[in-house]
Amino acid sequence: MEKNAGKIIEKFRHITENPHEYAKALKDKGHLLAGYMCTHVPEEILYAAGFVPIRILSAHESQAMTRSYIHETYCSFSHDCAYQGLQKNYGYLDMITHASSCIHMAEAFNVWVRFAGYEEKSYLITYPHIIHTKHAGDIMVKSFIQFKEFVEKFEGKSITDEEIEKAIKVYNKTRRLLKKLWESLKADKPPISGADVATVSLAAQVMEKQEFNKMLEELIQELKAEPHRVFSGVRLMVTGGACDDLRIFDLLEDLNYDTNLIFVDSCTAARYFWFEVPEDSDDKLKAIAMGHISRIPCPSKDTVPGSGEKKRFRVLQGYIEEFKPDGVVMLYQRFCSPQSMDIMALKPILKNLGIPWTELELDTTVPRIQFGTQLEALIETINRVEP
Amino acid sequence: MAYTLKVWSDFKNYQTKCYRDYLSRASGGLRCMGSTWSVLAPLKGLGHDVHLIGGEPHAASTAGTLPEEGRKNIMAAESAGLGFHSCSYLKLFVGEVVRDKMSITDGTVHDGYPRPDLIWTTHLCNLHSKWYQEVSRILGGVPLFPIDVIGGGAAEQDPKIVDYVSDQMEEGIGWLERVTGRQFNDELFIRAARNEIKVLVLWGNVCALNMHSPAPLDERRFIALFPPAMVDRTTDEAAKLYEDLLAEVQHMVDTGQSVIPNQDYRIAYFGLAHTYGHPEIGRTLKNAGAEIVASVYTFGTAGNFKGFDKDRKWSWEGIDPSWVGDLDLSTRRKALTELAKIVLAWPTWQGVRSYWALEEMSKAMAAQFKADGFLLAPTRSCETDFRNGYIALQRIFKDRLPTIEYDTETVDVRKMDIPGSKRKTELFVDLMKAHKNKKGGV
Repeated sequence: MEKNAGKIIEKFRHITENPHEYAKALKDKGHLLAGYMCTHVPEEILYAAGFVPIRILSAHESQAMTRSYIHETYCSFSHDCAYQGLQKNYGYLDMITHASSCIHMAEAFNVWVRFAGYEEKSYLITYPHIIHTKHAGDIMVKSFIQFKEFVEKFEGKSITDEEIEKAIKVYNKTRRLLKKLWESLKADKPPISGADVATVSLAAQVMEKQEFNKMLEELIQELKAEPHRVFSGVRLMVTGGACDDLRIFDLLEDLNYDTNLIFVDSCTAARYFWFEVPEDSDDKLKAIAMGHISRIPCPSKDTVPGSGEKKRFRVLQGYIEEFKPDGVVMLYQRFCSPQSMDIMALKPILKNLGIPWTELELDTTVPRIQFGTQLEALIETINRVEP
Repeated sequence: MAYTLKVWSDFKNYQTKCYRDYLSRASGGLRCMGSTWSVLAPLKGLGHDVHLIGGEPHAASTAGTLPEEGRKNIMAAESAGLGFHSCSYLKLFVGEVVRDKMSITDGTVHDGYPRPDLIWTTHLCNLHSKWYQEVSRILGGVPLFPIDVIGGGAAEQDPKIVDYVSDQMEEGIGWLERVTGRQFNDELFIRAARNEIKVLVLWGNVCALNMHSPAPLDERRFIALFPPAMVDRTTDEAAKLYEDLLAEVQHMVDTGQSVIPNQDYRIAYFGLAHTYGHPEIGRTLKNAGAEIVASVYTFGTAGNFKGFDKDRKWSWEGIDPSWVGDLDLSTRRKALTELAKIVLAWPTWQGVRSYWALEEMSKAMAAQFKADGFLLAPTRSCETDFRNGYIALQRIFKDRLPTIEYDTETVDVRKMDIPGSKRKTELFVDLMKAHKNKKGGV
């Protein structure tokens, strides 16, 4: 008989595999739904206004339609997200928002606005392209004020500080719970698989947060009482860009060797939640801005003025110390230039730490055999398997 | 008869002198590197002996002057780990660092890469400051100050963005003093700021003269004439060059002369210069009596125009050059604010993340330059706006003007489909002919 933890995980997985079914059910219950394309959107403002923010994700369907809207050298994630708009797969959304992010996702957003009928119900939030400038917080606050005004006008009611504070606390709870779940992977014998944790993290991005928090709290309790799955193998850390294709994480733990996925540094996993917004602050929007600035930076925004340092690498080395990976998988979207630039600089760091790595370039679908061979070669390198 | 420009050699000599001075560290001065798509005047507050090198113009001129060196640089950068899909300008530039060589526009190749004293650059697309992060890393850590320029969609009219960019530059001036140990001279800075703004305005005026028929200049000349404005537009010499150019082109208009007298078809162009294929496509057009008379790249990378009005309608008309003389640049902050506004108003930045701005500019270009066709040439590896929104422009123009899109690449021959581009250009010419015949034209 399936244990409780397993049932909860299955429910999370079902939601990630059927996000429209879940969202439509929310709509039927009277929720307003706001789609967002990049995790730099301050979801708390939307949530405070009564919207359920839902991340627009790809469907991994082979298609050619978007080639006549955006250039082929944009990543498959942006093409796929644009396709979702053109196909009206998210037709139930009341609004879409985007915070100026990488150019690829910006173009996907533009496709929705220009060609998918969202011109009057969309908002582009001005957001720093370098997150570490001394003045980033100032412009974020000014920009969030304008965004809040837009949402208020859209909904015809004002958003109070109390509502924003409540939203901050709900979101921080999500972040703490997710962090706790990921931290359980630090153990030699984790109580849950990394692929399942990645699934839960993705579910957080498409779910109503209080419902999500309740489910995740139950899951953590269940895991404390009885591990869902225990075995230990080669510990793999993933670093890279957006990846909502959970099949790759399943594959990482379904090789001809025992492996554990123990950390994912990406905007669809740790970079989404591994920060907190200061609570009970006098200036709520400033607090949200400060929270965003403290995130693990997206490679496209990561340059420290003065030194040119990539702050993400410093953070990443901290995770390496804490989670103790045996190997690193660089997983990024084909055509994502910031990622490929970062990888060039990350390799010498990993070399110094004595950690082997491999690179996997993502496209619309996961080439299971090719990736599997590459991953097994990495494990053999780590295990020093004789040829 | 085709007109021959008198100012030509002065333009070429200025560019070469800038590079020679950078290489030789003339007067023992400072070497400053970075995107020349940045505000440059603050660097000149450090003294008279500040020499600049910018990634984009240097990479473009290397590929044009020494194509074999360019190819080797790109391959070296890829061998060092840069991705195939990354910006080709970036790879050519980084490749020189990897190979420990530098080539300049006089055709010479110098062993030993000249280490810059600092990097002062901009960050707009996903990649701009990351380009220099890599140069800094390979060279063992060169101080780097990136300025976040949130461009796109009339950003110059948004006070929060103008303040943000100005604040960063102001902070950057303090950083420049710290890393160089020099005291910042506001007088030198303000003089350079006025020159910088002046050159951008003068170039905008030169470009706007192509609204006349015959258009005095063609894209090939524009490509050759705008590099000084990219390499170093802050000097008195640069301002004088563009004053002379404007006077000469005005004379051409007044006397009905052109570098390409046969202009049956006028083309508007959205795309970067592509070293490979541009001559072939230029010949195809010329043989058909067609010419590119307006181009967002050459006009908008180093030029300012009247731009967006309050109703978000774009105009490619030039700004009265006397406006520059009247600008109040009496304090550091005032000068930085005007520089932020002028840079944010560059046409090439308007379309970044802003579909409506791109559309308004393209519609205005077609109308004001009386275009018979629209040539869209998105650049495969450009992370900025040189492919952003271009594909969708076909949808905007499909019922109005013959429009064709062909893929291009700046300086990497492997990514340039020259035969395909030529065929598309030939088809484009036929489409324009048919369109004009239908309208009762040619």
